[in-house]
Amino acid sequence: MSFRGYKEKIEDGDVVILYLSNNLHAIEVCTEIKNKKGEMVENVYQTTFGALKVKNLIGIEYGSRVELSKGWGHVIQPTPELWSLTLPHRTQIIYTPDISMILLQLDLVPGSIVVEAGTGSGSLTHALIRRVKPNGHVYTFDFHDHRAKLAQEEFESHGIADYVTVQHRDVLEKGFSEQVTGRADAVFLDLPKPWDGVPHAVDAIKAQGGRFCSFSPCIEQVQRTCEALTQHGFQDISTMEVLQTELKVSRRTVPVRDLTFLKHKSCDNPVEEKPSSDKSYVVGAWPATTPGHTGYLTVATLPPAFLKRKLPVTEAENGKSVSTEIEMKSDSDSEEDKLVVDESVL
Amino acid sequence: MVANGKKRSREYDLELVEETACLKDEIGIKSSGSDNRNIYDDGRSQKLTADEIYDLKSDSSKAADIVETLITNSNTFHNKTEFSQDKYLKKKEKKYFEYIQILKPNLRIISEILYKLEPTKVQGIRIDTLSQIVTMANLCCEGSHLLYDSGSNGLVAAALLNAIGDSNTGRLVHMHPGNMSQKQALLAMNYSPEQYNKCVSVNVYSALRQYYQGCDTNSSEKILEVGESNSLKRKGESVPEECTKIPKISETLNLNIEKTENRYTQEPKKPKWHFDNIEASNIISNKMDSLIIACKEDPQNIFMELSKFVKPGRPFVVYYPVAEPLQNLYVSLKSQSNVAALKLTCSWMRNYQILPERTHPEVLMNGSSGFLLTGYILK
Ligand SMILES: C[S@@+](CC[C@H](N)C(=O)[O-])C[C@H]1O[C@@H](n2cnc3c(N)ncnc32)[C@H](O)[C@@H]1O
Repeated sequence: MSFRGYKEKIEDGDVVILYLSNNLHAIEVCTEIKNKKGEMVENVYQTTFGALKVKNLIGIEYGSRVELSKGWGHVIQPTPELWSLTLPHRTQIIYTPDISMILLQLDLVPGSIVVEAGTGSGSLTHALIRRVKPNGHVYTFDFHDHRAKLAQEEFESHGIADYVTVQHRDVLEKGFSEQVTGRADAVFLDLPKPWDGVPHAVDAIKAQGGRFCSFSPCIEQVQRTCEALTQHGFQDISTMEVLQTELKVSRRTVPVRDLTFLKHKSCDNPVEEKPSSDKSYVVGAWPATTPGHTGYLTVATLPPAFLKRKLPVTEAENGKSVSTEIEMKSDSDSEEDKLVVDESVL
Repeated sequence: MVANGKKRSREYDLELVEETACLKDEIGIKSSGSDNRNIYDDGRSQKLTADEIYDLKSDSSKAADIVETLITNSNTFHNKTEFSQDKYLKKKEKKYFEYIQILKPNLRIISEILYKLEPTKVQGIRIDTLSQIVTMANLCCEGSHLLYDSGSNGLVAAALLNAIGDSNTGRLVHMHPGNMSQKQALLAMNYSPEQYNKCVSVNVYSALRQYYQGCDTNSSEKILEVGESNSLKRKGESVPEECTKIPKISETLNLNIEKTENRYTQEPKKPKWHFDNIEASNIISNKMDSLIIACKEDPQNIFMELSKFVKPGRPFVVYYPVAEPLQNLYVSLKSQSNVAALKLTCSWMRNYQILPERTHPEVLMNGSSGFLLTGYILK
């Protein structure tokens, strides 16, 4: 039940995150597990610091220190962020920097109805559920039978199954189920041909309009998706990339070389190569390798149904709708002063 | 938008339109060139003078008329390639725009506008960083969350409240150093009173003083009662009014006045902040589910004091526009070893122009996103 809400103490059946000298491990808390021969034996989790008797975790407070046979670690209640770092990969997954942007770009709040395809390993799904619960719902689809089944089981054991409906379905061929038609506030696609999902997204989104986002690793996918979005009357189409770099912080002591003494004649000092002193800094070093690409996020707004027919398609491509008075004012003010013949810069 | 008045005194009236037209369709371009070999960059391609264009702009009511005249008087327009004609028209459409769309505010729009207008007014918190603050703090519809914010104009509070929602049990204690909290972004979100009231904004000194020293312990029962009836009475009032009502006198002075008042008179009317302080102190004494700091001051002391209120195993996020103060905090937290998964990160974001055969990253990108120090509090 680890993802249902904030908990104080570890219970049987929880997933806990074991934090061990800068490494994170997800452990399912059950007293016994099946061994290779299919017999039930005591659940002992092996770490580089020795064994952890999982049974002993039950009843202790989250955030506590736990003893291992050759050291100690700490247990934390999993969050969708920690889960993304530790979950069993069944597919490529989306990580927190992209997930965060997806949640914000889809305008999701508690109560929203959101459609996702494909479910994959459920990395994004956990974050979607946390954002829309308790009165919202996530409908997630995957055409891979086994993945859909495992995801469903996971949501049940995590205590969040009532916020999500998992369906095994090819959404490009069959569209999203009737269950969601005209009900979604937002649609998210992470599958190889998102452009084929655009018309289905239109069917799923509410008459009041809604948001669309797709995550694609390749620019060709993005181009085709943008074309499809334009054709189907989406506005404010925009594509972006988000990357996160982790800085390595350390205290660094650097040698100081004195050169000033050379200005004066001095008898006893020939060429002194040793640095004269040192100085200490706290530095944040950029890593030698860091994620260079995850995927492009393409987002768009489906306008309310009463507007859709009236907007010529070309207008939608133009995108930029002025959103509030603040922006409107700043626009017209600056244009007033800059009224010059500026053909040369075109 | 329909213009009236002339030149600089021009005003616009809004008219609801049934249909919008785009310049390209209205004007109808007949010919275009295949490349730019015949285009000279001598500033003489437009036959109209700047003054003439100015007059044209104030006399015409339709963007299409203005742009059509500009094109007719341009030597080069018809030699331009279709792509650059397109670009020209798009640019003009923006310049002489006729339509606006009125949208409901949401976090995405508000954060983009505030950042575009003046990044320093929101401590340089860009939309991607803002989105990560909310997720890394594991914000959701429930729990009690502690925010210290001294420079984002309410943007961080707006984002956190957005994730808490309007009909749930989540609470936000929003501490700030001034007499009044900065609320521009929070107010811009048009939250319902139910949602808005999930956020208790308090002066950090008063709230902590209340927590550690108490202010009116013997009559606290009565005060709470009054608080309830007061909040009922206030229900009808609009949110902005409520916050302007907070007196601008220094906090301590007010506290003293309140104390004496309470002792000598039975006057039940007390300012809202009085009850807010008591409420905030009650909430933090039950410990918090997350800590978020976005400050102008050095984050070290603020973190050390406020992290005491966070339950073990819960996340914290500290935002700072530059890395150094967070690096120092990182080093001291590492040496105390009472936090887990400590990370200093920096986000990078790039927007793309996606057009047939003209796809490329946008020419300008924003280089500063600030830094986040994140982790989990240990017991
Ligand atoms: C990259 S994974 C998604 C990962 C997921 N976003 C996460 O964060 O864990 C893509 C998934 O889409 C599914 N998929 C691909 N095409 C599909 C289709 N037409 N209908 C339904 N699911 C599809 C695949 O089975 C795969 O599991």
